[in-house]
Amino acid sequence: MAISVLVPFTFGLEPLVALGLMAGIYNGAMYGGAIPAVLLRIPGTPAAVATTFDGYPMAQKGEGGFALQVAVVSSSIGGIASAFALMLLAPPLSKVTLLFGPSEVFWVAVFGLASIIFLLGGNPVKGLISACFGVFVSVAGSDPIYGNDRYTFGQLELLDGVNIVILLVGLYALPPVIDLLETPLKTDGVNSSKLGTEPIWRALPRMYRFWKTWIRSSIIGIWIGILPGAGGSMAAFMSYNEARRASKTPDTWGNGEPEGVAAAETANNADTASALIPALTLGIPGTAVAAVMLGGLLVHGLQPGPMLFRDNPDVVFGFMWQFLFGAILLVLLGGALATNSFARLLNLPRPLLGSVIIVLMLIGVYSIHGRMFDVYLMLGFGAIGWVMDKLKFPLPPVVLGLILGGFAEENLRLALRIGRGDWLVLFSNTTSLVLVALTVAVVVGPMIKRRIQGAKREEATS
Amino acid sequence: MSDHRTHRLLRPETLTALGIAAAAFAFLYPTSTLRPISALLPAVMLVGLIILSLLLLIADQRKASAGEETEPMSKSPGRVAGAFLLILGYALATDLIGFYPSTAITIPLVAWLFGYRNPLGLAVATLVVVGAIWLIFDYGMSQDFPAGRLWQE
Repeated sequence: MAISVLVPFTFGLEPLVALGLMAGIYNGAMYGGAIPAVLLRIPGTPAAVATTFDGYPMAQKGEGGFALQVAVVSSSIGGIASAFALMLLAPPLSKVTLLFGPSEVFWVAVFGLASIIFLLGGNPVKGLISACFGVFVSVAGSDPIYGNDRYTFGQLELLDGVNIVILLVGLYALPPVIDLLETPLKTDGVNSSKLGTEPIWRALPRMYRFWKTWIRSSIIGIWIGILPGAGGSMAAFMSYNEARRASKTPDTWGNGEPEGVAAAETANNADTASALIPALTLGIPGTAVAAVMLGGLLVHGLQPGPMLFRDNPDVVFGFMWQFLFGAILLVLLGGALATNSFARLLNLPRPLLGSVIIVLMLIGVYSIHGRMFDVYLMLGFGAIGWVMDKLKFPLPPVVLGLILGGFAEENLRLALRIGRGDWLVLFSNTTSLVLVALTVAVVVGPMIKRRIQGAKREEATS
Repeated sequence: MSDHRTHRLLRPETLTALGIAAAAFAFLYPTSTLRPISALLPAVMLVGLIILSLLLLIADQRKASAGEETEPMSKSPGRVAGAFLLILGYALATDLIGFYPSTAITIPLVAWLFGYRNPLGLAVATLVVVGAIWLIFDYGMSQDFPAGRLWQE
């Protein structure tokens, strides 16, 4: 939610500054999710669920401050590893994708959509509905080749299509605000007011024993981040399980074992920058937040995909360095300054917090073009987003559909023009065929896996 | 029996599936006025939405036949409806009477209605938020906000 609310405010900034701001928020939010997870047993982000397992028991034992210090150091290590992975892996991958023509780019878009729908898990029908909705929203406005109006209903405001920020704020920021107002949760402020953190350099020697966990969890987080559809929560859970399995004292886990916090927080931060590897090179985000970040790139006129590295190398490489510095800064700012202050922010009344976010949403959306039409459109998307959220329709395919829909259509039509209307042009080279095969594998793979698991379960019960 | 059927059709997923199908069907008509190549993507998506919503409908009705209960979409629908109406009201008020007056009313009103009833806290929070917005966006970034149609006319 934080990034989607923030995106409109970055309009007036230079692209690199704006992206740096988003990278900082992304890194910070991943650690920030640990603060309520440790102090209140309410994960601030889905990726922080695993942090509650040992973080909250530590807070109950009066070690909340140390738990947050373990979280911030581990988050920073995970973030640094992830930024290095982005720097090392993205440039060579982009060189390969530069060789792609319109038909390959079309298949990349189809592969991206298919992977986010089917690898997200859950219900593929709901994933497909989300993606179709996103692609349908992308066609509103002028036709990219002929320029005739599609679904503008005579509204001049829709001629340029639906701005991605309006969709992002509506889908991602409005439903949580409604949730904030829906449940008048009384928070337990005891843990947050009695934090009692010692300086981080004094706490560091007690953390050195986690070095193996930091390495293992970083690798898991980076790998999960690159996989489209997986996310920080999966990385955190996998890493937590692996660390527990490797531990000599697995019985202490779940009762306040700091290594559990280290495992979860390293992995969910190691997934941040690495999720941008497929996003920057292919236009396929690894996580929902990466999809929102793609929206942020588009807002600044930067089309994610192979051309990004060729046309805007300064912005892309600057962005990577910002991720690295952001992860390093996390220890300095998150460890000393922010943790205590933000822990006290948890005591703010939720209705007040909700009303302030509503005002910020209106300002953000209104400031895009200076018109109320966008605000009403955002509210419409917000209502749709709330229903989708409650019925467990995945939201990332909608965003990806809007991003990739226009991109896919333009390249499909270019490919058809090159092939003089012959649809076989889409299957005329090896790269296209490989991408088609990958798409089929992504669609069919989970189905076969589910069948095998179902058969095994039946066997076990019989 | 009829009561049972009514409940089956009022399941949230069933209603959503029917809504998606109806909306997709309505949006399909304008594609007939477009060039075939321009209509291709929207038509494919809309037909896809109709088929997928029917699959969703069938799956949900099967669950209903199997006696599977649905979770309510909200634990307190009144609060959700109230929140939506207040947000919509805030947008309309901003359009009509301007950004600052509507914001100065909305912040304490929403917080008060949803359970935070400390007059001093509300006054301070409203002053701080409105003041910060003016300082950052209006003064610092020269951002124009709606002045209100009522005063303009």
